[in-house]
Amino acid sequence: MLAFIIRRLLILPIILFGVTLIIFMMIWMLGPERLIGTYVKSPEALKSEKSVERLIQKYGLDRPAPEMYFKWLGNVLKGDFGYSNVGRQGVLQSILELIPYTFELALYALIPVVFVGIWLGVIAGAHQDKLLDHGIRIFAIVGWSLPDYVFGLLVLLIFYSYLKWFPPGFLSDASMKVLRDGPWKHYTHFVTIDAILNWRFDILWDAILHLVSPLLTLSYLWWAYILRITRSSMLEVMRKDYVRTARAKGLSEKVVINKHVKRNALIPVATVSGGMIMQLFAGTVIVETIFARPGLGRFTATSAVTLDYFSVIGAALFFSLILIVTNLLVDISYALIDPRIRLS
Amino acid sequence: MVETGKTTVREEVLTVKNLVKYFPIRGGVFKTIVGWVQAVDDISFHVYRGETFGLVGESGCGKTTVAMTLMRLYNPTSGSAYFGGKDILNIHGNELRNLKKDIQMIFQDPYSSLNPRMRVKNIIAEGIKTHRLATSKQDLLDKVAEMMEKVGLSVDHMYRFPHEFSGGQRQRIGIARALAVEPQLILCDEPVSALDVSIQAQVVNLLKDLQNHFGLTYVFVAHDLAVIKHISDRIGVMYLGKMVEMTDKRNLFNHPMHPYTRALISAIPIPNPELKKNRTILVGDVPSPINPPSGCRFHTRCPIAQAICKEQEPLFEEKSMGHFVACHYAK
Ligand SMILES: Nc1ncnc2c1ncn2[C@@H]1O[C@H](COP(=O)(O)OP(=O)(O)OP(=O)(O)O)[C@@H](O)[C@H]1O
Ligand code: SF4
Ligand SMILES: [Mg+2]
Repeated sequence: MLAFIIRRLLILPIILFGVTLIIFMMIWMLGPERLIGTYVKSPEALKSEKSVERLIQKYGLDRPAPEMYFKWLGNVLKGDFGYSNVGRQGVLQSILELIPYTFELALYALIPVVFVGIWLGVIAGAHQDKLLDHGIRIFAIVGWSLPDYVFGLLVLLIFYSYLKWFPPGFLSDASMKVLRDGPWKHYTHFVTIDAILNWRFDILWDAILHLVSPLLTLSYLWWAYILRITRSSMLEVMRKDYVRTARAKGLSEKVVINKHVKRNALIPVATVSGGMIMQLFAGTVIVETIFARPGLGRFTATSAVTLDYFSVIGAALFFSLILIVTNLLVDISYALIDPRIRLS
Repeated sequence: MVETGKTTVREEVLTVKNLVKYFPIRGGVFKTIVGWVQAVDDISFHVYRGETFGLVGESGCGKTTVAMTLMRLYNPTSGSAYFGGKDILNIHGNELRNLKKDIQMIFQDPYSSLNPRMRVKNIIAEGIKTHRLATSKQDLLDKVAEMMEKVGLSVDHMYRFPHEFSGGQRQRIGIARALAVEPQLILCDEPVSALDVSIQAQVVNLLKDLQNHFGLTYVFVAHDLAVIKHISDRIGVMYLGKMVEMTDKRNLFNHPMHPYTRALISAIPIPNPELKKNRTILVGDVPSPINPPSGCRFHTRCPIAQAICKEQEPLFEEKSMGHFVACHYAK
């Protein structure tokens, strides 16, 4: 097991290197005239006749691709990811600053997805073709067929425009002012947790109100997904001979479902959850944009639109890191729950 | 109590009367019932204490369904089955759970019938615990170890998972698991058909030894007569959800009355080619149990069928002492 983990961690830099290479090439193909935008800090800089050409030369955008790439890579290894135009500071600083926002959103989305999704899936599977099952399945089908940007706009329409329950954004202006000017101590940078630690339940409540719509949008699809996987896996396991064996032992239905069906049915759920966690992070791009929340997702979207290529590469590297780490965790947990799997 | 040819009075452990099991076929948008699979249709038989009752018939004739229904893993459509003075097809709750101490089943597929996430010890111990047969943790462990020894498994392997065993060993785990709750009757559903031929005999012999040791009664299901001949005392022959012939083994092989039984007997491989002359070879496929043939269900393939066979279903009658047959032309 330990050898497996170490081996996977050794592969990590190689994968990250590949990711940078691919993204760099995609961006390089845009050509220097478009890339120069990244370096232009004000419109005045482009006023004079030859300024564009001068800037291209100054930042080496006309150099051969390998040279540009390795120059950038060398800087990265020194910890300099370049300047982010979108973040108005270094790429690394921008990303580090935004991580808590996105993690808070993703984690709060993940917990209900996993627990409620599995719970509903187990119920639906155990009551196949009963009314309860049909209800849960309709809920799942709707969630699965609505794209998140459509559902997000729908949520915005209903809860913000019509009902006026949940405002978009991150916090109300009053709360933002407290965060900026104090009294406020940043313990974890997760605003909900910090609010509790600062004993400011008004801000906690404010944060929760702002979280409901994005969480709903981000997680509904994945509730539906986990629920569907759990349900079909339950149904499949329930047909297995060893479940008959369990019934033949005279166990109660509850024990059969919990001890024999559920445990085996969760194995495929564990395998898909790695991909799901990644997709959930990808979903923050749309959700943070729709609901105007600060975070890595919106940062990535804005960077991509403005061709802020240092920022795009930085964000891509970061998302790849999350992907690799979650996959590793999923593989480990997979081996822990299924004795037939040997990690080697 | 029934008087048989041997003039000994034997106790019926299990008496099955008019057992019917239809499976609904669902279809359409609302999954409504569009038809029925007549898997088991009006079957009666009885099993004496201490004997092995062989149940034989081609694949799909409903043998597993009979066993599963008696085990109450399927709900019966109708009929009754008496065991220990009770109609076990009509009990519920605690009574039903207790039944699963007295009747056990060994399943066809040793690969899929053991929970892959449980260790052998727990697989065997679970039934003992459920029926509160152990007085302490140590007693439970001793009982598991004893069972493993009895079926020829090494006690050292108690904490292994099923996938670490071969097919024959897995079936031994299945047998130990069934035996662990001290049942009286064991339904063996083709317990060796998934195993290598070289291992089949070992497992069959193990079952025989255990039967003698614990005084068990077996219902032994198989799809050909070769295995059944070795282990059974009495045999019931099934065809397409019906019982067509039932008698003791000697009688069945020496005086088969039903043409289907005769075909099955002549299908047993014989080393001596001289004896092959009078073989009855069945032609055609087994018809579907969804729309079984009218009258005698065997008439589409019967070599001696007459006009009446298509119209009238033959009764399952006792033609001679303890010899039941369903055929208009039984002889
Ligand atoms: N759960 C079920 N739902 C619907 N039909 C079923 C079900 N189980 C069995 N059947 C059908 O009932 C018929 C009898 O099946 P059964 O498994 O009892 O046959 P079998 O004699 O045990 O055959 P085999 O030798 O292949 O094990 C078959 O046509 C089968 O397709
Ligand atoms: S009843 Fe007719 S068809 Fe059926 S087995 Fe007898 S002879 Fe053949
Ligand atoms: Mg079968």
